[in-house]
Amino acid sequence: MGILNHLKGIKFSKGNAKHFKNELSPTPTKNSEAYWAFVKRQFNKNKRAVFSLYLVGFMAFIALFADFIANEKPIYCKYNDKSYFPILIDYGVQLGIKKWPKDLQNINWIDTDFQKVVRPPIPYSATTQDIINAGFVSPFEKQDVPSVRWRHWLGTEALGRDVLSALIHGTRIAFAVGIVSMSIASLIGIILGALAGYFGDNRILISRATAIMLLPGIIFGWFYAFSTRSYILSDSLKVSGLKFLGNLLLSFVIFFGAIILSWLVGKLLQFIPWFKKKIAVPMDIIVQRLIEILVSIPRLFLVIAIVAIAKPSIFLVMVVIGLTSWTGIARFIRAELLKVRSLEYIEAAEALGYSRKRILLRHAIPNSLSSVLIAIAFGIASAILIESFLSFIGLGIPPETLSWGKLLSLARGGKSQLWVAIFPGMAIFITVTLFNLIGEGLTDAIDPKQKR
Amino acid sequence: MFKYIIKRIFIFLPTIFIISLLTFMLSVSVPGDPVEQMLSSNTESGSVQNALASEQAYIKKRQELGLDLPVFYFSISNEATPKDLHLIPKKFHRNNLSRLIAQYGNWTLIDKYYQSIKQLEFATLETKRDSANGDAIIAIKDNIYQLYINDNNNVIQSSISKIQNQTKKDSSLLAINKALLTVKNNYQELRDNPTPIKYKTPTIHWYGTQCQYHQWITKFMKGDFGISYKDGRPVKSVLLDAVRWTVILSIISIILTYLISIPLGVVSAAKKGSKTDQTISTILFLLYSLPSFWVATLLIMFFGGGDFLNWFPAYGVGQIESGMSFMEKFGIRAYHLVLPLICYTYGSLAYISRQMRGAMVDTLSQDYIRTARAKGLNQRTILWKHAFKNSLLPIITLFASVFPLAVSGAIVLEIIFSIPGMGKLAYDALVARNYPIVYSVVMFSAILTLVGFLVADILYALVDPRISYNKK
Repeated sequence: MGILNHLKGIKFSKGNAKHFKNELSPTPTKNSEAYWAFVKRQFNKNKRAVFSLYLVGFMAFIALFADFIANEKPIYCKYNDKSYFPILIDYGVQLGIKKWPKDLQNINWIDTDFQKVVRPPIPYSATTQDIINAGFVSPFEKQDVPSVRWRHWLGTEALGRDVLSALIHGTRIAFAVGIVSMSIASLIGIILGALAGYFGDNRILISRATAIMLLPGIIFGWFYAFSTRSYILSDSLKVSGLKFLGNLLLSFVIFFGAIILSWLVGKLLQFIPWFKKKIAVPMDIIVQRLIEILVSIPRLFLVIAIVAIAKPSIFLVMVVIGLTSWTGIARFIRAELLKVRSLEYIEAAEALGYSRKRILLRHAIPNSLSSVLIAIAFGIASAILIESFLSFIGLGIPPETLSWGKLLSLARGGKSQLWVAIFPGMAIFITVTLFNLIGEGLTDAIDPKQKR
Repeated sequence: MFKYIIKRIFIFLPTIFIISLLTFMLSVSVPGDPVEQMLSSNTESGSVQNALASEQAYIKKRQELGLDLPVFYFSISNEATPKDLHLIPKKFHRNNLSRLIAQYGNWTLIDKYYQSIKQLEFATLETKRDSANGDAIIAIKDNIYQLYINDNNNVIQSSISKIQNQTKKDSSLLAINKALLTVKNNYQELRDNPTPIKYKTPTIHWYGTQCQYHQWITKFMKGDFGISYKDGRPVKSVLLDAVRWTVILSIISIILTYLISIPLGVVSAAKKGSKTDQTISTILFLLYSLPSFWVATLLIMFFGGGDFLNWFPAYGVGQIESGMSFMEKFGIRAYHLVLPLICYTYGSLAYISRQMRGAMVDTLSQDYIRTARAKGLNQRTILWKHAFKNSLLPIITLFASVFPLAVSGAIVLEIIFSIPGMGKLAYDALVARNYPIVYSVVMFSAILTLVGFLVADILYALVDPRISYNKK
């Protein structure tokens, strides 16, 4: 049941001796400049967490430069008396700003004799198929390679793809999933959690006119933005992700445009006194119910459901994980803001007549962000775990892409391929552990008294 | 207390309602045609009678499944789309028609065009096939299919002209040619008279209770969960079969977890900071981070007859024969469940003992424990009689949430070990687009989770008399 706890986003916290010490030492209030320095100092005391942070940095480096570490294309080559940087050219081609030079167009990167060549340390891409060494060649077996330079250090899988190279490129997918999905989750979680915590159930007052006009605003907005444009949207998804994003953005502009328009109509209506009367928006109840709904549907199930019916794409996986994992962050922020909003400095700011938007954005939220870091660290771990499980059961990422989970799944069903199971599993395990350790360190540093 | 429970149940209902809506909408909007899926033998053997018969069968099945009803109580649609578009039987016809509506907005002419394609199809089916025109008829059929699924002008024009070319070659295809001419004219008329403004005018259609959602939710509340698309069995019995396995596994694993993790937690709290505590903590932490699907794979490889030891069966729950005694049955099941149980248990082990340790550490620092120590009570009594009882609170709350989690979270291990429980059932149903099962599983785990939260809160109040919900 190991995965369960991650899925629910429950944190693993230590209640060790350290936090009793912290209670005795004067804890700076959160609005003071010294707070972050204090958090940093506390975090640095936790050797394991600091070490994990360095390791994560190292892995991020691998993820970022994966193409230069493991690639069948050389970093530099001289061919027909001309010098090229094929990996860089490849980036240009993928971005659509460059074309392959004629000489290199249909070249076999591995067998061609270049006049001069500088290859990456591992001369295979994640997709390179070494046909001679295909069919699960183990790391210790005799390999049919020209020199030690070409050895498959961690062996190959069924199609002859290099396991080490797949691991290195898998790092990129894992980190991308973790970062993108947690960015989405943080954005939603912080906004909703802050609204719920700061405004509660009775601090947002809107006029009756606005409340009444909101309904047609949403209906018309939805109709013109999504209903009538549904075929434009779905067709552009088949063309390219970028085009889809553009169309989606336009849809959102139309949607919010319609809402703003109806809000303006509501403003006009306020000339009639009955419409002017204010009613409270129960923000806290709404957000709490939203969280409850999302938590009640098993998260892994929801993710599998959406991913199973859509076309495989790593971007979709990120978005779905992001959209389903904001609840933890929202809870943190809400709890934090419930505390913060009654602190003296917020009351002082209110007394000074600052706008609530300004207080919320400039004072309340920034001072609550530290606790979100905890949720994000644990969230990245669980996002990586979910992605690798999805690709393990063959959902989510396109067939030709290799990720850790996909690599691991290749080890199932056959024989004598322990290395294909051990190494990607280790990679997932180590990464998840590192993020969990960081999360734990942050828990101790930020909120020593917090138990769960 | 009673008031609080009532209040919670009151909030519980709208949440369940929204979850049911969400799952329902999700599965309605997905691709795939369940009716087609159930009528697996799709005979396309040519004659009009056959074509009509298969269409009749299709319509009948659709009615049986209740899919000929509108989806929801109302729909926000546009003026161009007719209120009863859902009556068009085939899903891919319907989809293409609504695409045409999006393009031209003139339903009368679109319907005319659609009917003329149908006439064309019948004309083709009625044409006697012989050796001379056989290939031509097959080619025409392909192109008629293209007309059914395309809204793009170029494709339609090219399909029409392809059919025309075929009909020109052979005099026996005259009837088809005539029908084709009507299609062509109707299509031209449609193109000449578009009314896009109608598509841009929102309209609300009201359908009342004669809708799929209403039918489904009322039946669901009466305990009728529909029938499985795959084998036509009632979902209820399929679900009961599956629930059994999940419940057995999670109960055994929960018991194991608690038996091992509570003493571990207590011991490491009592010896806080010592070598023992640190070792236990580190090992548990590592266990906690091990991905269970990886551990499962490795266990199967090592002990499941992969390459090393053939100690345990890797998949399934074993075959039970009718004449077996209880002990024999038990032996077979236990033998199959060892590996899955290890995987089920090890992760939560770490989690629960961490929680136990945390709670114990907290309790042990309280004043009354110090008093007990001062009184000279021995360590054992203090630990188990005084501190332990008061540390149970977080563990109790966990218990209530572990159960629903186990039901839904079993997906991972049930898939790998192919245990026929809820998780595997739901996953298989999803992949096969067997939606009645998907709805039911999601609803059940949602209800279980919510009940779990409620039970946790109530237990909380029962264990700790200081907590009272009435004041809220």
